[in-house]
Amino acid sequence: MYKLTKVTKAYQKGRREVHAVHSVNLDIADGEWLAVQGRTGHGKSTLLNLLGGLDRPTSGTVDFNGRDLGALRETQVTRTRAAEIGFIFQTFNLVPTLSAADNIESALLPLGIGPWERRRRVRAALESVGLSDRARHLPSELSGGQQQRAAIARALVKEPKVLLADEPTGNLDEDTRDEIVTLLEKQWRERGLTMVLVTHDSSVARRAERIGVMSKGRFSIRQDTRRRAPA
Amino acid sequence: MFFLRYLRCELSSRKKQAVLIALGLALGVGLVVTVTATSAGVQQAQSKVLQGLYGVGTDVTVTKTPPPITPGSGSSGGTLFSNGQVCVSGHCSSGAQTIDNLTSSGYAPMSYSTAASVAKLHDVSEVGAGLTLTDRQTQVPANFGQGGAMPTSNSFDVDGVDFAHSSLGPLANGTITSGRNFAASDADSDVAVVDSDYAASNSLKVGSTVTVAKVSFKVIGIVSQPQGSKPPDVYIPLARAQALGTFNNKSLSGDLNTIYVTAASAADIPSVQKEISKLLPSATVTTPSSLASQVTGSMASTRQLANDLGRWLSILVLIAAFAVACLLTMAAVGRRVREFGTLKALGWRSRRIIAQVMGESLVLGVLGAAVGTGIGFAGAALINQVAPKLSATVPTSSGQQMMMMGANGPSSSTSSVLHTFSVPMDASVSTGAIVAAVVLAVVGALLAGSVGSWRIAQLRPVDALSRVA
Repeated sequence: MYKLTKVTKAYQKGRREVHAVHSVNLDIADGEWLAVQGRTGHGKSTLLNLLGGLDRPTSGTVDFNGRDLGALRETQVTRTRAAEIGFIFQTFNLVPTLSAADNIESALLPLGIGPWERRRRVRAALESVGLSDRARHLPSELSGGQQQRAAIARALVKEPKVLLADEPTGNLDEDTRDEIVTLLEKQWRERGLTMVLVTHDSSVARRAERIGVMSKGRFSIRQDTRRRAPA
Repeated sequence: MFFLRYLRCELSSRKKQAVLIALGLALGVGLVVTVTATSAGVQQAQSKVLQGLYGVGTDVTVTKTPPPITPGSGSSGGTLFSNGQVCVSGHCSSGAQTIDNLTSSGYAPMSYSTAASVAKLHDVSEVGAGLTLTDRQTQVPANFGQGGAMPTSNSFDVDGVDFAHSSLGPLANGTITSGRNFAASDADSDVAVVDSDYAASNSLKVGSTVTVAKVSFKVIGIVSQPQGSKPPDVYIPLARAQALGTFNNKSLSGDLNTIYVTAASAADIPSVQKEISKLLPSATVTTPSSLASQVTGSMASTRQLANDLGRWLSILVLIAAFAVACLLTMAAVGRRVREFGTLKALGWRSRRIIAQVMGESLVLGVLGAAVGTGIGFAGAALINQVAPKLSATVPTSSGQQMMMMGANGPSSSTSSVLHTFSVPMDASVSTGAIVAAVVLAVVGALLAGSVGSWRIAQLRPVDALSRVA
């Protein structure tokens, strides 16, 4: 799915050049669940942004299914994001004036899907996250956990190949956190998604197949529990 | 439809701000509509005044200023009262008498062929002739000059009507309210049509007689002119006016002193004016716009107020309204940076987000236009309710030639008579003003939307989302 080769993202801070991500080499296989841990400010979110095409590397290549995201035109990256990459954010980022159903539908608009088909998919997505009875509710009328479930539904309604989650349980209490992670795991298994999940929480990270660590912009693998083919 | 749903939800959620933007635009637009209506009302009132002087359909009038009187030339044509005698053109007599002169003292005569020459000019559609005269009747008492009674005089305006071109001239503007108008067969008859105000003040009706230059004319009709005009008092056939009228003691037979001209189109009026001035260098060639510049009184002040102050005030208020709309829209976009960043992360292209913002602005613009039009109508209605009648003072050269004794000897001049009219003003909102209001409000709103859209186009999702953290 992904092949990152010597990927670096640098920012100019006054006279200094700061490397948020420094020469990262990383392969992410199809259907893999990779958790990324690390301290605040060490490049986890920057790595996620690069994987999602939200940002371009200063150097190196981010190969996504044979396409270098850093070299594509903005419209091509946007199209790729629309069709193949789902995002989940720590603060949910639901549109506050739209209902849960409309928020989910907003992810389908760039795909040119007709209104009937959109509604059908939205209904299915709401059902898959257990929010069918909250379709018409505004985000302000939902709990934190319900909002994150709506955000998950929004990310998954377009049947992406990749799900990128940036601290999805960061704003939730323990019970709700478990609920959300369980839901994510279920979706990962059922849909065969490739999932990259950034988290501070070790208990969440441990449920992933691989755990990577970002430390001062450099990436290393801490744990790999993927089944290896016999030699 | 998702677009409309999103639009409706967004505007509902920030009602206060939306109302503020729409109201700002409405106020600017309302002021423009009110000022336009007032300006139109003043223009209409002025047109009525000018039409009343020259008649509907007249684009250009041609007159001639009389030459100066030279002493001893015998051309004064005036009446002298001295030592109990009355001297008219050098012939003196005493005793009770009535002097009745029909004269063209304000305008010099032109031959009838002049009108034909004007009619041949390029872009001239129609030409009519007229004689604008004054009938002065002086009653001299028997004991005049014996330390007792003085002569009394009264005068009234007489217009010689050209039947061949009845759509031109002051009579064309009026409505016959009693009796009938002139017919072709009246061309040489002693018949008259009398202005309704003059008839009322002199107890005249159809069938009465009115004396012009000592000749009795039978009143065949009463004509009512638009309010605010200063029409002639009595209308008689041109041929009779020519036969009875004099200028400097000379008969006006075959002459006229006013030519009414209709141009082929409004755009041709300046060129027609120029051509006539070239043909008749000594003539005074007047158009309604040139006469309009001589109008004084509260109408002129109101016209200036509406045109100058009103226009600038409207422009300033509109600029302020546009600025407020832009600032508020920018602020709204600023508050929605995270939202737009998320949508971009979901795969929304900038133009889809921009279309959403422009759609919201358009709705506010239309709302502002609707409310603004209403404010404009209300403003115009208020002006009609509270505004006093306007006065318009127009100089016309139909006064007497005056002879004056100065240090350098006698001199003469033709005085202008100032006519003052009281004119009601009707501020009315035209379709054009409404269309302009809608366009202004929509343009203002779209301008605000464009400013916000520019910001969206510059927005990088990673920057927008990083604000969240």
